[in-house]
Amino acid sequence: MKHLNEAQLNELQQDLDQIRDQVVADLGERDANYIRRIVRLHRGLEIGGRVMMPFGFIPPVFLAATTSLGLSKIIENMEIGHNVMHGQYDWMNDPSLNSQTYEWDTVCTGDSWRRTHNYEHHTYTNIIGKDRDYGYALLRLSDDNRWRPAHLLQFVNYVLLSVFFQWGVGLHELEAERLRHREISLKDKRPFLKDFLRKGGRQAFKDYLFFPLVTLPVAPIVLAGNVSANLMRNLWSSNVIFCGHFTQDAETFTEEECEGESKGHWYLRQLTGSSNFTGSRWVHLLSGHLSYQIEHHVFPDLPAHRYPEISEKVQAVCEKHGIHYNTGSFAKQYGTVLKRIIGFSLPDRVRQRVLPGFSEAAA
Amino acid sequence: MLAQLQTSQALHWLGRQLFNRNDPAAFFDPLLERIDPLLAQQTIRARVVSVLPETSDTKTFLLQPASRWKGFRAGQHVALSMDIQGVRRTRTFTLSSTPAQWRRDGTVSVTVKRVNGGLATGWMHDNLHPGRTISLSEAFGDFDLPPIAEPTLYIAGGSGITPVLSHLETMAESQFQAPVTLLYYVRTHRDVIAADRLRSLTDKWPALTVRIYPTEEPGQDHRLNDRQLDEVPGISARRCYLCGPTGLMDLADKLLYRRNVPEDQIHRTFFSAPSVMLNTDSLGGEVQFSNTGTQAESSGDASLLDIAEASGLSPKHGCRMGICHQCSCRKSRGTVVNRLTGKASGSGEETIQLCVSVPAGTVAIDL
Repeated sequence: MKHLNEAQLNELQQDLDQIRDQVVADLGERDANYIRRIVRLHRGLEIGGRVMMPFGFIPPVFLAATTSLGLSKIIENMEIGHNVMHGQYDWMNDPSLNSQTYEWDTVCTGDSWRRTHNYEHHTYTNIIGKDRDYGYALLRLSDDNRWRPAHLLQFVNYVLLSVFFQWGVGLHELEAERLRHREISLKDKRPFLKDFLRKGGRQAFKDYLFFPLVTLPVAPIVLAGNVSANLMRNLWSSNVIFCGHFTQDAETFTEEECEGESKGHWYLRQLTGSSNFTGSRWVHLLSGHLSYQIEHHVFPDLPAHRYPEISEKVQAVCEKHGIHYNTGSFAKQYGTVLKRIIGFSLPDRVRQRVLPGFSEAAA
Repeated sequence: MLAQLQTSQALHWLGRQLFNRNDPAAFFDPLLERIDPLLAQQTIRARVVSVLPETSDTKTFLLQPASRWKGFRAGQHVALSMDIQGVRRTRTFTLSSTPAQWRRDGTVSVTVKRVNGGLATGWMHDNLHPGRTISLSEAFGDFDLPPIAEPTLYIAGGSGITPVLSHLETMAESQFQAPVTLLYYVRTHRDVIAADRLRSLTDKWPALTVRIYPTEEPGQDHRLNDRQLDEVPGISARRCYLCGPTGLMDLADKLLYRRNVPEDQIHRTFFSAPSVMLNTDSLGGEVQFSNTGTQAESSGDASLLDIAEASGLSPKHGCRMGICHQCSCRKSRGTVVNRLTGKASGSGEETIQLCVSVPAGTVAIDL
């Protein structure tokens, strides 16, 4: 990691705080109108998708219905749910947009997400051993973990994780790896499992039972459409999230270097551990503006649609402090993610020869 | 149909599964309110029918609530919510119209004085034009009409006249048979709210006596005094209603007490948070907001709501004066002192109102 001394870290903190203060002072009707417009878009897409789906025996209608429902889930999860639960709109005082009570259209419960994502991942970002989002305790993505022959199969695991992403995220808090190592017992996880089953059951009931059954004559079509819409959301959100921290230049950290860290050091870690990708307005919207992962990690509770506006200022701060601002096209960033997944599935000596760029990880 | 999502247990359960929210009927609000804001289910909306200027700084807003609003008793309040620059603000107002009018044509009115520098009242005066909508709560409060026809005295100050208007017009319509006196304190004659309504009341209802005292006009001292009360016949047997600023209420309390008016004959309603003298030395302490893991130190008589907001939390709240219970919240341990009564709570788990609770020592709150 780029090394800054204490004075430099303080200056970095002041520079970023200043950007934040400017946005906070300007929050108002524009932001409220934006998120309400997105919520309207989501309702329109979901209702449209659900209404069209039974007529999916006409192929173009099937395509339209599935796309509409898939987009509705993507927008609800990424631009509404994820961002609302970060508290980006708490200042509006609208109970429908409250971070602590919001419940989203996916298997993972809002409460579990607030614990594992908002608290653990955003506090301990990319600290190996503390940020369980780094590889989801399933993938080896840096040489902080020793290579084992089982890692040879990790690309298959990755594909499976992407396909069933909502279930993977839902089960994240189970900490299966710690259960396996007997560090914790299933009994500790009973409250979590109860919530998981209730929410997972609810989601499965809705998409795979209720809506197919109320349109019984065309149930297989509705079921197929709902499965496709969920798959669409799973693949897209998994890809977006993987591009946020696992690209080639995204750095990892050790627990020792982060012990008792200052706010400035936390900022530095967010800047160097995250990566952006470029794209059109729609790409940013559908990614919940996680295409601006760096801005998001520096200011997780500022309304996400503000990230494009402050991006230039954040880049200027990075330049001033000599910090690499990690961005590129979606294809380029995603390419390096795939390389990382494949590279670290290989024994270290093979990897160093085939993919030399990934050796330095947490050196 | 949508209302059934809230009332039918089976539909409510189904709605929760399908829409992932505890108020499933509100799922459609973002689209419905584009068609007609009154269709929204999350809050009850009311449309502004007309706006009537009362004085230079007071306006009466005639509102038509959505049909599922349950109505009110004379003297009750509602919490009005409005989005001001993207932020939802809630304030409590007394309904100044009569339940009979609401039953007749479905309208109610609030009479709002523009508070100097007031965010919500200023916004209402400037932006709440006919045709616009606002959210209102169900009515609450127990500033109720006299249970039987008995001699009655009202002491009102400034915009404290609003519940009294609702009372008097209701009593006039029912031909209330006992003598009723209103002592109404205003700064100057130009500050009299609803002058026309008061005049027409005295015209058609002979049992009513209205005395208006302009306290800031030169000449005689018109502030509430014994001489004025001497002119009210049989005062110690009257049921008394007080509504006005804290100073007037305290003075009225004192004078009525001296005249041996029994406490259970006196009714009060507040429109600013009254505060008892708290011994600030024993107050304050460490506040732990358990759900968010936030901690704060407080000293003096800062309320938990203020402390939470200063710590960057934004708990649900409404009136900020202990009326509406929007901010009710679970306290898991510690003692708080109620700012309105000066009484200390128990030390265990209980529900408290954040806006009027002052920590006394370490307190843990489920926020």
